[in-house]
Amino acid sequence: MSKILYIVDKDNKDYNYSLKEDTIIYHFSINSSSNVEITLDKEDINLYYYYSGINYNDNYFNIKVIHNKSNTHSEVFNHGVNVKDNVFSFKVDGIVLKDSSKCICNQDNQIINMSDGKSSILPNLIIDNYDVDSNHAAYIGKFRDEDIFYLESRGIRRNSCYKLLLNGFLIGNDVDLDKIKDFLLEIEKV
Amino acid sequence: MLEIKNLSCRVKGEEENILEDFSLKINDGEVHVLMGPNGTGKSTLAKAIMGHYKYEVVNGDILFDNESILDLDVSERARKGIFLCMQDPTVIEGVSNSEFLRTALGEVTGEKVNLYTFIKDMEKSMEEVSLDNSMLHRSLNLGFSGGEKKKNEILQLKLLKPKFIILDELDSGLDVDSLRVVCKNINDYIKDNPTTSLLIITHYPRILEYIKVDFVHILKDKKILKTGNETLAFEIEKEGFTGVNIMTGNDRNE
Repeated sequence: MSKILYIVDKDNKDYNYSLKEDTIIYHFSINSSSNVEITLDKEDINLYYYYSGINYNDNYFNIKVIHNKSNTHSEVFNHGVNVKDNVFSFKVDGIVLKDSSKCICNQDNQIINMSDGKSSILPNLIIDNYDVDSNHAAYIGKFRDEDIFYLESRGIRRNSCYKLLLNGFLIGNDVDLDKIKDFLLEIEKV
Repeated sequence: MLEIKNLSCRVKGEEENILEDFSLKINDGEVHVLMGPNGTGKSTLAKAIMGHYKYEVVNGDILFDNESILDLDVSERARKGIFLCMQDPTVIEGVSNSEFLRTALGEVTGEKVNLYTFIKDMEKSMEEVSLDNSMLHRSLNLGFSGGEKKKNEILQLKLLKPKFIILDELDSGLDVDSLRVVCKNINDYIKDNPTTSLLIITHYPRILEYIKVDFVHILKDKKILKTGNETLAFEIEKEGFTGVNIMTGNDRNE
């Protein structure tokens, strides 16, 4: 059974965690910046980190996951929506130390630009051990025209299409919606 | 119902038309089949009717219930009652099938959808198309087999109750049993809604074994060259498009 944490930010905040058990963190951010540093400090533990951010001004999200022990596993999913013509940047570091073997260190980063904002993603994997499985992916762009066409072809107006796509992009299936009411309201405003 | 008048269209930015001076009239309650070799513009026609963003109409008109739909956006065409059952339905990760269907139903009917009634109706319809209920809660078409995607299209059709249905290569990716289930649902729908018209786009006459059709058209050289009944489709199956004398015979649209 994993420990589950919910974070909903409306202001800039920084977080530091030293983990010694399996943990799932759902991090929701409304127009704010964060620095997050997580150290996996016990062997055989798993981290799942889900970040979802809605951005209106210039903001960033920096996360650093440090594999301090062997056999640790991290999966980091960062999804951002840049609503206006501002800067939204992700810096995502996966770090595996020299003495930490057989680790899995993955990250998946996506930012959707709703207009002509300047978004950037810096995915970094700093691996100092030979026996590691590590992957990263990054995408910056708009919602796919083909997706919008499919939704519209069923009679769904453009605004409702965006709401469906935003909800799908920012809210995972397992999220307890009661814990993120403010964030859900914010999606309605985008 | 649907009248296409001297339609010429092409991919946006390209110079060559895919359809040229294409005309076709489909009355209420009629079932038409459009056949033709690969690359002759059958799917282009389907997408042009629906208003796909990649295609532009450079000449002619498309009338639905005697009104031009060229200035309508995609969702407006759908809400008027046009439904395109897609050859390869789009996968949208994160958007659940149930949320999508419920939103579509609300937009098409203009009414707030009661969750309990919706789920009950869906469970019944899903059983009718032999889809597992768990698919309601999965991302739209994500991880669905080819057959499940097509059944999901038919599920949407049953829910949204369109007046004019385009089936774009419905039979591709369907095994015999699934094709039978899908066609039974289409036949039941037509029986319950007898003014509904169908345009079936296909390469093979297999689907004609299950759905009774009124007209079969052969599309070649950017327009309809021959029109007949279902015998024409089976003739093509036997002789191929090059083996059938497409320059003779009665063309209903000329």
